Amino acid sequence: MTSSPDLIHELRASRPSAPLALRARVRELSPADVRPQRRRVKFGLPVRRVALVAVPATLALAFASAGVLGLVRSDVSSTEALQRQESLAADSAAGKTGELAPSTMADPRIESNVGPTADRAQRVSATLTVEVSDADAVSRAAQDALDLTRTLGGYVVSSSVATGEEGSASITVRVPVGKVQDAITGLSGLGRIVSQQVTIDDLQATLDGLERREATVRGQIARIRARLQAESLDAQTEAVLRARLQTLRGELTELRTGISSTEAEAQMSTIQLTVVTPGAFDAVAPPSRIDRTIDEALNILAWEAVIALGIVIVLAPFALVAFAAWLGRRLYRRHEDERLLAT
Amino acid sequence: MTLDTPRPLDATAPSFATVAEELLDDVFGYLLYLTKNWAIAEDLTGETFETAFKKWRRFDPGRGTPRAWLLTIARSTALDWFRADARRRKREERAEAADRRGETDSFGEGFSAELEESLRTLSAGEREVVALRIVLDLDSEETARLLGISATAVSTRLSRALSKLEERMRDHDVVA
Repeated sequence: MTSSPDLIHELRASRPSAPLALRARVRELSPADVRPQRRRVKFGLPVRRVALVAVPATLALAFASAGVLGLVRSDVSSTEALQRQESLAADSAAGKTGELAPSTMADPRIESNVGPTADRAQRVSATLTVEVSDADAVSRAAQDALDLTRTLGGYVVSSSVATGEEGSASITVRVPVGKVQDAITGLSGLGRIVSQQVTIDDLQATLDGLERREATVRGQIARIRARLQAESLDAQTEAVLRARLQTLRGELTELRTGISSTEAEAQMSTIQLTVVTPGAFDAVAPPSRIDRTIDEALNILAWEAVIALGIVIVLAPFALVAFAAWLGRRLYRRHEDERLLAT
Repeated sequence: MTLDTPRPLDATAPSFATVAEELLDDVFGYLLYLTKNWAIAEDLTGETFETAFKKWRRFDPGRGTPRAWLLTIARSTALDWFRADARRRKREERAEAADRRGETDSFGEGFSAELEESLRTLSAGEREVVALRIVLDLDSEETARLLGISATAVSTRLSRALSKLEERMRDHDVVA
């Protein structure tokens, strides 16, 4: 009986040798000294190596871009946050949304010395925010503001006072233009000035225009009246003149109303006072630069992830089909090879 | 350096003539075991070396030995032949034609008649693994890479082939 070592020995000892004719044929293939060429530096890298570099590099790029953009955007969000906070504080103090809020933060140390020009018609309006110590002080300040308004010959347009842990008041008053400086000074003294804004619109040109037009209309009316009284007019002309006279009278009435309201506007100034407590501004502590940067970076990373996920979702079906086709072909080829070699 | 500049020859790499001279028997033996037909093995060996010569300048010694590279080409050539032959269903006719040319389909000189007969009963796949692992003495890893299967599968296939071979030989001994 033949044992395995004997069998293996016999198989190795009887290695087939190529026929001489075949050897000669193969020799003819390569008469010259043909050697492989040195490998050129590859421009393409194996997929695994590329993946080993590309994946960490992509992640690093994503994190770096998120960090840099987060840092840059934290400056912008800082300004926005400040504006939001100011707006929030003003709204809170006003007790309702849409209340006029200061558009800029004024330096509390600077008192406004802006006032109307005595010989010109001007619309003066002021927005003032003062901070008092607590809710009780809010009530007292509101009352003092109303008293001051009456003392100066003004009146209250609206008043809203909210009490509680964080009291606030919003008062709109009108005082004579000549007393507006006194009013602002007095109201500023009710607490620490958080912001103030004084706006002056010149109404003199409008008023002058209205008065010129009034004079013109009056002259036209006088001339028409004179013609109607002095001349014997035909019925048609008289009708036209009377219609014209009626129109001019209507216009004159409107002009008088306009002049009166403009003069009234120029006589009284509007002051909007907001009284707040410190909690209204300090309730939400502004986030630090690091916090803002991290928040922005996380937002950007989230967006990057969403975009990457979208790309994956779009490409995945194609990749799956391609992979399945490649795998199927490979399995089929292998199966076919096995079948061929099984004979 | 531009891309069109011819690349220098690798002086450390062997020439094709040297490799062909050295490995001709290996390739031929492998193909003979695979096809169990002297004439077909001879044709496929010639075809293998022709293909190899065309690709020789692109051969990268860093990625494998010349023997493994040549045997890969030989296997691919043989499988192509098997496929074409199966499609045309002329395999039997070709074998007969080869027989008519008077060639001796022996696997090698010095084989006993029993071993020759027993080898013929193995499948091409079994003969292939015997040729690679026993006759050409390739290691498991190299054989696995060449066949596109795992090293374990190579060992299993070889063990099965040798068992079958031993069994056939035993049957011959009993009959004798």
